[in-house]
Amino acid sequence: MKISLNWIKQYVALDGVSTAELEHAFTFLGFEVEGVVSTALPPLTNVVVGAIRTRTKHPNADKLSVCTVDVGPAHGGVRTIVCGAHNCDAGNFVPVALPGAVLPGDFKIKQSKIRGQTSDGMLCSPDELGLGGEHAGLLLLSGQPTLGQPINETLHGGDTVFDLEITPNRPDALSQMGLARELAAWFRQPVAFPEIKFHNQTHGERPDILAGIRVESPEDCPLYVGIAVAGVKVGPSPAWMQERLTAVGLRPINNLVDVGNYVMLELGQPLHVFDAKKIGGRQIVVRRAADGEKLTTLDGKERQLNRRMLVIADEAKPLVIAGLMGGASAEVDAGTTDIVLEAAYFRPQSIRWTSRRLGLTSDSAYRFERGVDPHGTLEAARRAIDLILATAGGTVVGPSFQVGGDRPWQREIKVTPAFIRARFGFDVSDDAIRDALRALNLAIVGESETATGPEWTVDIPSYRGDLDRPIDLVEEVLRIHGTDKVPPAPCAGPALVDGDDDPIAVFNRRATDYLVGQSFHEVVNYTLRSQQELSTWVSAASAEELALANPFVDDQSHLRPTLVLGLMDSLKLNQSRGNAVARLCETGRVFMEHNGTVQECVGVAFLICENEKDRAWLPRAQPDFYTVKRHMEILAGAAGLTLAAQELKPVTGAFWGWQPGQSATAGELTAGWTARFGLLNPAMVRAAGVEGRVWAGMLAILPEKLTAAGGHRRYQPFSLMPAALRDLALVVEAARHAGEVRQQLLAVARTAAGTAFAVESVEVFDVYTGAGLPAGKKSLAFALSFRSQERTLTDDEVNTVFQRIQKDIAADGTMAVRA
Amino acid sequence: MQDLLTALLAKAPAELAALTTRADFEAAKARYVGPNGELTALMKQMGAVPKEQRPAMGKLINEAKAQLQAQLDATLARIGDAEIAAQLGPAVDPSLPSPDAGPGTWHPLTLVREEMCRILRKAGFTVVEGPEVETEYYCFDALNTPADHPARDAHDTFYFPERARFAGVTKKDPEEKYLLRTHTSSVQIRSMLKGPPPLRVVSPGRVYRRDTSDATHSANFHQIECLYVDKHVTVRDLKALLDYIFASLLGQDTKTRFRPHYFSYTEPSFEVDLSAKHLPKVNKAWIEIGGCGIVDPGVFEAVGYDPEVWTGYAFGMGLERLAMLLYGIDDIRYFYQNDVRFLKQFA
Repeated sequence: MKISLNWIKQYVALDGVSTAELEHAFTFLGFEVEGVVSTALPPLTNVVVGAIRTRTKHPNADKLSVCTVDVGPAHGGVRTIVCGAHNCDAGNFVPVALPGAVLPGDFKIKQSKIRGQTSDGMLCSPDELGLGGEHAGLLLLSGQPTLGQPINETLHGGDTVFDLEITPNRPDALSQMGLARELAAWFRQPVAFPEIKFHNQTHGERPDILAGIRVESPEDCPLYVGIAVAGVKVGPSPAWMQERLTAVGLRPINNLVDVGNYVMLELGQPLHVFDAKKIGGRQIVVRRAADGEKLTTLDGKERQLNRRMLVIADEAKPLVIAGLMGGASAEVDAGTTDIVLEAAYFRPQSIRWTSRRLGLTSDSAYRFERGVDPHGTLEAARRAIDLILATAGGTVVGPSFQVGGDRPWQREIKVTPAFIRARFGFDVSDDAIRDALRALNLAIVGESETATGPEWTVDIPSYRGDLDRPIDLVEEVLRIHGTDKVPPAPCAGPALVDGDDDPIAVFNRRATDYLVGQSFHEVVNYTLRSQQELSTWVSAASAEELALANPFVDDQSHLRPTLVLGLMDSLKLNQSRGNAVARLCETGRVFMEHNGTVQECVGVAFLICENEKDRAWLPRAQPDFYTVKRHMEILAGAAGLTLAAQELKPVTGAFWGWQPGQSATAGELTAGWTARFGLLNPAMVRAAGVEGRVWAGMLAILPEKLTAAGGHRRYQPFSLMPAALRDLALVVEAARHAGEVRQQLLAVARTAAGTAFAVESVEVFDVYTGAGLPAGKKSLAFALSFRSQERTLTDDEVNTVFQRIQKDIAADGTMAVRA
Repeated sequence: MQDLLTALLAKAPAELAALTTRADFEAAKARYVGPNGELTALMKQMGAVPKEQRPAMGKLINEAKAQLQAQLDATLARIGDAEIAAQLGPAVDPSLPSPDAGPGTWHPLTLVREEMCRILRKAGFTVVEGPEVETEYYCFDALNTPADHPARDAHDTFYFPERARFAGVTKKDPEEKYLLRTHTSSVQIRSMLKGPPPLRVVSPGRVYRRDTSDATHSANFHQIECLYVDKHVTVRDLKALLDYIFASLLGQDTKTRFRPHYFSYTEPSFEVDLSAKHLPKVNKAWIEIGGCGIVDPGVFEAVGYDPEVWTGYAFGMGLERLAMLLYGIDDIRYFYQNDVRFLKQFA
């Protein structure tokens, strides 16, 4: 929203207020200043008109001149001033900054010596005076200005335009008058409203111009006024109006259109001017559009309407999308002689819905959808008629049409100063609060005594629809008091707050800390990925469930189902930049589809790149599946899961990012979590532009599963007796998983030991294939550890059990004891 | 016999000195003091020595035995030392680099987030989390921003198709759409719905805006947001918290100020500026760092807190913006490129 200082000065006295003070005022009233453009001189003292009498070259500097300048008898007559500008020629009238002047940028002028030559002031260029622009020589004053006259008197005119951010709660500030009111409150100045002369006087009945107005949808349009003016003359609007419109960024069109825009910008009420001849049947109908009805708007686009949209129509066709934009067919043109001025109040929700549906907005819609002053419509119409008569001539003719009433407005808020102080948390006197309310035109119309002091009844003006509750007045008083005046205080000590950090935060912290401790670099990647990338990791049906309805760019259209995608990006970027990097990790949300429902999971993933090009003076064992498995076990542990207790299965299905035979999966999302880890498909890795073999692991877990983890541990007594150890090698099918064999051996051993003593552990310590074994078989060697809680085990009792184990294994048929 | 002893003692040193392995040593030891050893054999002859000579002879044998044992012990120690020396190998070159991976690094966003959480924990705030896919209710409606409210325009929101189904996030109204949360304020609502006040929580997390990516904007970024609900919470308390946070994070000479602003879920609402001239790349006197305010009574009504009894404040800011300020980073995209030369700078 652009505000012209010249314009608002019509309504509030701001003489002597600097641009910086206005900027500060706007900022602390809550209107962020996004830009200031000034074409006016700031108030300057000791800068006066002078005439250059002589110019000679500076004796000690090629580019400087020594001038004698007459600044009038009041300022000591002729002075000697050194000048570097190219145009300091004798005879020119120029601004002269005398010693004691302070130019913009806090540039203080004093008598000085420049290369040995005394200079008694400075001749000024436009930028030195704060007029902007490039430094291109002295500002030459035209005509015969009075010598010694203050420069502000010589160079008046110009304007300062502020570009302000108006928050959505303040539609009343979407006008010059609205912001004048705010400045008036800040500087405690009265507001002067433009005088309105038109009071519905008509000169004769002209039903041939406007025969009637019918509002068929009063809920969308509670008030509609049409005023006919006969005999207008279309032409350019007056210079002062054009200047103001131009200053705030509008292009002048013609006097009638400009008046509409001018009053909208002045008072915040959008208006519309129809060429009466183009209203078919001389009848205005405010109605809902029919589904499929079409209207070509002023911007030349054909708009498809529907039955929720409000239009202003004549008997035959829609003319305007109500409150939004006019149609090309009913506009004022050079041949217009009779017009109808529309002033209406449209329901904000209706305008907003239509605007969003059509993807069309306008200055008018912007105001209507935020809410115009429901009490200001008629006044704005009268103001516009005054300006039309003044700029385009014509006479107002009857009959007058007003459908709906001026919407009644009365709103009062009861508030106590004690309540306001309690919300502030610091002391402000009743008088100061009263003063702030009065400054904002929030009149205290009643006062009663309560236990906590007086209670005031505050009358809310119709343009402040945002004020509805006592808390809203707290903000108003604080704005005027100054939000930068909140006094400091020590931060209060914590109340007893029940609770600990969310398990998600705790898990992310533990997982990241572990991986960083294992030399991983933590990375952060985007959540949104392309559909094409997803095909590596999930089925097409899954990908569809992860799609956004309204992506902004094509390559960020889907939720990520795995963090590996981003990790690969980071790896690729580092490789392409020649950074040696092998280990990356990330935590973050991932999204997994199951039976048409998407689950948002807490995720952690890492990758280890094994690149042959990475050289080391001392070779190390390369990472492998079991390196990854160990990290996964520890990460699962951080989530309260025991990966070792899980059955590991080959990765199947659409997840061809994982290399079959070199990867595994555990857990099910239906049980709350899933883990996948191993070697990434080398073909996929190469296609992704990454060099080397890449090992990776990912864990996804539902938040509620993390919440359920934890709990108190109890101490378990452990035996202080020595363990008895036996080794046993078993020959099994080469394809059988060691874990399964181990489980079977453990079960057999426990059965054999019975209650006599415990089988403490069964662990594989050797895997062998080759000479001495039948083809297709492998040998798995296990270390068994037995221990009693109470006594040292004898060889005999252990041997008895060990023999029974061997016998039972042999009887199983799927495995044999290796001789 | 005495001669035999003398001869034995005479040859032993040279023989033992020649030994280099533990096995040779054991064999040599057996040859002297083993059951069939030469000294053992001499001792066995003691029975044949005349009775009157036995004490003298016994003494001689014991002396010889002690002497021999000392030589054996020394030999074993020498061989042991040699073995260790052989195991150790040559001296290392301590100036060579370790071939193992260097230190890992936390991402700067993690570092800033954890630092903020640490500072806030001292003020009694605990971390809460919520889903990134939200419903319109939690993201807007419950935050006093109904569907037809212009404040929703300020948020360019990513939505999901009507058919989309998300587990764990229940729609209040079948008509409402799933979306990617535009702010972490939705977590405030979820926290308040979980239990009665008082409440002091901080919610860091990822948020999304449907906006062009450039040096200062990113399709997803991170916020950190505080909510405090109690009796008699004031604007001054809010200012005190912010002063505390930024003095802790950026140094004691950091100042904050409030500017009036509008957020639908706070009233009054402020934007927070801070001034910290010692920071790199902070040229302007005041820079905007976040938004805050006193919790709007409408929000308390939405979560079933009595607005006549409870008051509160909320404060939120962008983590990227804070990290950029703290570290003097000039492009938000560096956070998402993950160049290790960048990542290593903050460890």
